[in-house]
Amino acid sequence: MRAPLAMIAGDTSAPLFKIFRSALGEHLLIVPHSRIFDLPHETNGDGDAQALPASLVAALADTANSEVPLDYVVEPAPQSISLNVSSSCNLSCAYCYAARGSFQGAQPDPMPWEVARAAIDKLLCGAEPLSPITVGFLGGEPFVNRRLIHRAVEYAAEEGSKRGLDVHFSVTTNGTLLQEEDVELLRKHRFAVTVSIDGGEQIQDLQRPTPEGRKGSYELLFGATRSLLGNPGLAQVAARSTVARSDFNLRERFEKVLSIGFLEMGFAPLRAAKPGGDALRDEDWPRYLEAIVEVGQSELERVRQGEPIRFTNLAVALKQLYRGASSPYPCGAGGGYFSVAANGDWYACHRAIGSSTFRMGNNAALDLYQRREFLRARHVHSQSACRQCWARYLCSGGCHQEVSTRTDSSCDFVRGWLEFCLAAYCELSVCRPEFFNPGTRF
Amino acid sequence: MSQQPPIKLIPRNVAALRRGQQPADGALLVPGNPVSTRLESGVGNCFPGLECDLRNLERRFFPFLEVDIQDTEVDVISVDLAGVQESASNGEISADTATTYRQISSGLSQGRRWTISQMRGTFGPLGGQALVIADLRLPSTGANRLPPDAWTAIRLLTEGTEVELTFRQGNTTRSIVGNRARYLDDNGALAKMFLPGELTQSLCSPWTHDFRDCACFYWASNHPDIALPVLPTPPSVTPEINTYVPWERKDRTVNTLPDPATINAPVELSHYEINTQWQTLNFVLEGRETVAPYQPGKFTAPKFASLAELLTNLRYAAGVELAVIHEYLAASYSLKVTGVPAAAQDDVNAARAELMRVAYGEMRHVRAVNDVLRALDPAAFVPALRVASQVPASQPGTFRPVVSRPATPETIQAFIDIESPSVSVDGLYSRILATLEDLGPDETQQTVRSIMADGESHFETFSFVQEWLNKHSPAEYLTNPSTVGAPANNALHQKLQQEYIAVLERLFNGYTLGIPAGAADINTARNVMLGPSGLDGAAEALAAAGFLVAFDRIADARFAPVNHP
Repeated sequence: MRAPLAMIAGDTSAPLFKIFRSALGEHLLIVPHSRIFDLPHETNGDGDAQALPASLVAALADTANSEVPLDYVVEPAPQSISLNVSSSCNLSCAYCYAARGSFQGAQPDPMPWEVARAAIDKLLCGAEPLSPITVGFLGGEPFVNRRLIHRAVEYAAEEGSKRGLDVHFSVTTNGTLLQEEDVELLRKHRFAVTVSIDGGEQIQDLQRPTPEGRKGSYELLFGATRSLLGNPGLAQVAARSTVARSDFNLRERFEKVLSIGFLEMGFAPLRAAKPGGDALRDEDWPRYLEAIVEVGQSELERVRQGEPIRFTNLAVALKQLYRGASSPYPCGAGGGYFSVAANGDWYACHRAIGSSTFRMGNNAALDLYQRREFLRARHVHSQSACRQCWARYLCSGGCHQEVSTRTDSSCDFVRGWLEFCLAAYCELSVCRPEFFNPGTRF
Repeated sequence: MSQQPPIKLIPRNVAALRRGQQPADGALLVPGNPVSTRLESGVGNCFPGLECDLRNLERRFFPFLEVDIQDTEVDVISVDLAGVQESASNGEISADTATTYRQISSGLSQGRRWTISQMRGTFGPLGGQALVIADLRLPSTGANRLPPDAWTAIRLLTEGTEVELTFRQGNTTRSIVGNRARYLDDNGALAKMFLPGELTQSLCSPWTHDFRDCACFYWASNHPDIALPVLPTPPSVTPEINTYVPWERKDRTVNTLPDPATINAPVELSHYEINTQWQTLNFVLEGRETVAPYQPGKFTAPKFASLAELLTNLRYAAGVELAVIHEYLAASYSLKVTGVPAAAQDDVNAARAELMRVAYGEMRHVRAVNDVLRALDPAAFVPALRVASQVPASQPGTFRPVVSRPATPETIQAFIDIESPSVSVDGLYSRILATLEDLGPDETQQTVRSIMADGESHFETFSFVQEWLNKHSPAEYLTNPSTVGAPANNALHQKLQQEYIAVLERLFNGYTLGIPAGAADINTARNVMLGPSGLDGAAEALAAAGFLVAFDRIADARFAPVNHP
C-alpha cells in the first residue's frame, strides 16, 4: 500500500457505532469500515454503551490488514475522467449546473479533438493498468458534439486494447438527440448510459423544456431512445431524475419512466439553485425522505419476490453496505476522477468547470500541490459539521458542490435514508442472499 | 461489578467478516504458495522436475558456498562473503578459513575457476571416506565402494557431519573444514540459505527440450520414445512395419522405413532441433505413427443372415477354441522339461509357459462364447462344448483338420497362421461381431471384441515363440520330434481321456446352471485340471513317456465333434 500524503485524525470522541433495528431484530453498525453485525440479544433500551464495552467496539473499529485507514489522505492515480465535450444544449432546464454547457462563460466552445486525445493519452499513461479505466462524456448535451464522441471512443478503445487495458465508457445525456449510429456506439462499447428524465410527459416537459414553440422534450426523448431501450445490447442504461421542491410524487414518476422501457431509475434532489428557485429547503427534506422511502419499500417488496431491483439509489446503497463501503471522501473527485474542460483544464469535478478552487491542472500536468490541498480540505475529518456524525464514512460529507446548502435538515434526510437502507440490507441479506453475491450465506 | 455475559456478534456484511477473521495482530498474508504446500507433494524430482528441481538442494551443501555439480567435477560458483564476515566476527570460523573463502571469492570474481578436487566426510551408508572427485565412476559395487559420481557423493553426506573440502585453482590448493548443511531448519522450513526461486530455477520444459532426454519416463505416455512406423502406401504386411522405431529420430522422411529402435544410439533430433521442429514429430495413434487423416477401422465383415445362423457359428467358434486348445496343449507338453542344453533352457521354458498361457486364454474364450450364447438365447441355451472337426485355414473360406502335433517349426508356423489378423479365426469372429452389432446387447460385442484382441496378442506371442525356438534345433527342445499319439489301450492315455471328459462334464453342468448356481461346478472343473492327479498331471506323464498329448473323439453327443457351418 502506498504511504499516505498525510493523515488527518478524526475526533476521538466521535461515535464509533450505531445500533439500528430491522425486521430481524437489532443490529450493530461499526462506523469505521461500516461493519454490520447482528446483535442477537436485546440491549437495555438506551444502555447500549453498557452492553457493548468500549474496548470491544474499539477493537472492531480497528483497521484490518487489507483496509485503508480512514485518516489517510491518499493520492491515487487518475483512473477515470469525464470529457466536457459540448458547450451547449438543446434543452434549457432551469436547474442545470452547467448553464446549458457554457458554465457561465467558462466553457464558450466545444472540445476540439486534440484536447480530447491529449486527455485520453494522459489518462491511459498514468492509470493503474490492472484496474478498469473510464472515459465519460458530459456537457451541456454531449451528443451535440457527436463526432468527437465517436472519434474519442474509437481512439480510446483502440489504444486501450493495444496496451491491454480495460477501458470503460459512460455518458450522461438528455436522450433527445440520439441517432442510430450513436446507439450502435453505445451498444458496441458497453457504455454506462445515464439519461436525464424527470418523469412522465407533463413533468418532463415542464422541468426540462425545449425552446419556445418546439416539440416537448418528452416526445423527443421517447422517440430518440426507442432503439436503445428496445435493444440496449451491451450498454447499461439508467434513468436519472432531478427532484425539485415542486413535486414529490416520486412513485408515480418512477413508474412512468420505467414504463417507457428503462430498466433502472434513480433520483437526485435539487440542492444548489438560484435563490428563490426550486431547490429543496429545510421543510422539504422530510417529505422527500418519505417519498423516496416509499419508492424504496415498493422495490423491496419486489426484490423479496425475486424480482430484480430497479431503483438505483437503493441498489447502490445495498451493494455498498454489503461490501462495507467506508470512505472519508464522498466520491473520487480529485482522487481517481477528474473532469476535463474543453480547453484542456483538469478539474476535480464536472460540476465545477470554471471554478478555480477545483481546477487541478491541465492535459500537460496535474497541479499536485493544488490537488493535495484539495484532498486535505475535502477529507471528512476536515469537515466540522461531519465529525460527530455516525454516517460520516457512508455519506462522507456529501457532494462537494452541495456543501454550501448543507443544513441539519438535509443531513437528517441522509441519515434517515441510510437507516432505511441499513434495515433493508439486513432483511434482504437473509431472504435474498443471492442478490448480493451468488453463494453467500450469512 | 459482576462479570458481563459474553456478547455475541454475528457478522452481517463483508466488512464484518473481514474484521472477525483477523485477530488484532494477525499474520500478514504474503502472496505466494499456499501454506499447505509441501516440498514432498510437488512434482519435484531430479530429472529435473516440474515444480522443483531437487538437484538444486545440493548446490549449497557447504557453508557459504554455492557450487555447480557435474559427474566428476564440482565447480564453485559463488561465496557468501557477508556470511563469512559475520561468522568470522562471531568466532564461528577461524581467520584462516575466512581468508580461504575470500581467496576463492576473489579468484571467482577475476574469472578464475575454483573446483572442489577432493572431499572427505561421512557418506551415509558408505561410511567415512576420502574421495578424489575426478576418480569417481561406475560401477560402484562391493565393500568399501565409492559413490559413483560427485552429485551422489554430496547427496550421501550426512547432514551436520564434518566435511573437509580441498579446492583447486590451477596449481593452488586450499582446504576448508565445515559441517554439511541441513536441508531444513528446525521448523521444517527450507534452510535460509536457499534464495527464493532457487529450487525452481531449472525445471523441465515440458513441451520441447527436456522430453528428448527424460530419464524418468514421465513423458513416455504422451511423448513416446518408440512407436510403430508409418504404414507404407500401398499397405504391405512385412515384419518391419510391426517393429518399433525411434519416434524422435532425425530422419523424418516418410517413404523410407526407419531403422528399428533396437539399434544402439539412434540418430535423434537434438534438443535445439526439437524446439524448432517439434511439429514434424508424427501423431501416434494406436501405437503407430500416422500421417494420413485418421480413419477409424471400419468393420466390413458380412453379417450372418439370421439369429439362428449367428448361433450356429458361435457354437462352431466355441468348437474352434476347443480345437486349438488341443493343438496348443499338445505342442506345449511336447517341449522338454528336463535335459535341455543350458543355452536353450530359458528359451524352452519361456516357450512352454507362453504356449500354456495362450491355451489358458483359449479356455477363457470357451467360457466367453458360452456366455454370449446364453445372453442371446437364454431359453434355448445348451452349453457349446463340442470340439470343431476342422478349423479355419490361412486362406479365407478354407479349413484344415485339427491335428495335435509336437511343437516343430511347422507347427508353430501353423499357429501363427491361425491367429493371423484378419484371416482365419479372426475372420470368423469378425462376422460374429458384425452381426452382433444388430442383434446383440453391448456386452456381447465387448466380449467378442476382447476375444479378437486376444487373438492379436496370441499372434504376437507365437511370433516370439518362433523366434526363441528357431535359435535351436528341434532335437534340443522336443522330447520326440516325431512323436505320435499313444495306442488306445495305453493306460496313461486312457487316464488323460478320463480327466478330460471329467472336466467337460463339470463345465457342462456349470454352464447349464448358469451363474451363480453353476459356479461350484466350474470351479471344480478348474481344480480338476490342475495338479499331479488332474489333467495336467496326466498330460505330463504321457508326454514324459514319449507320447503325444492328444484327445480322442468323444461319442457323447454333448462333446462330439461339430462341423463348420
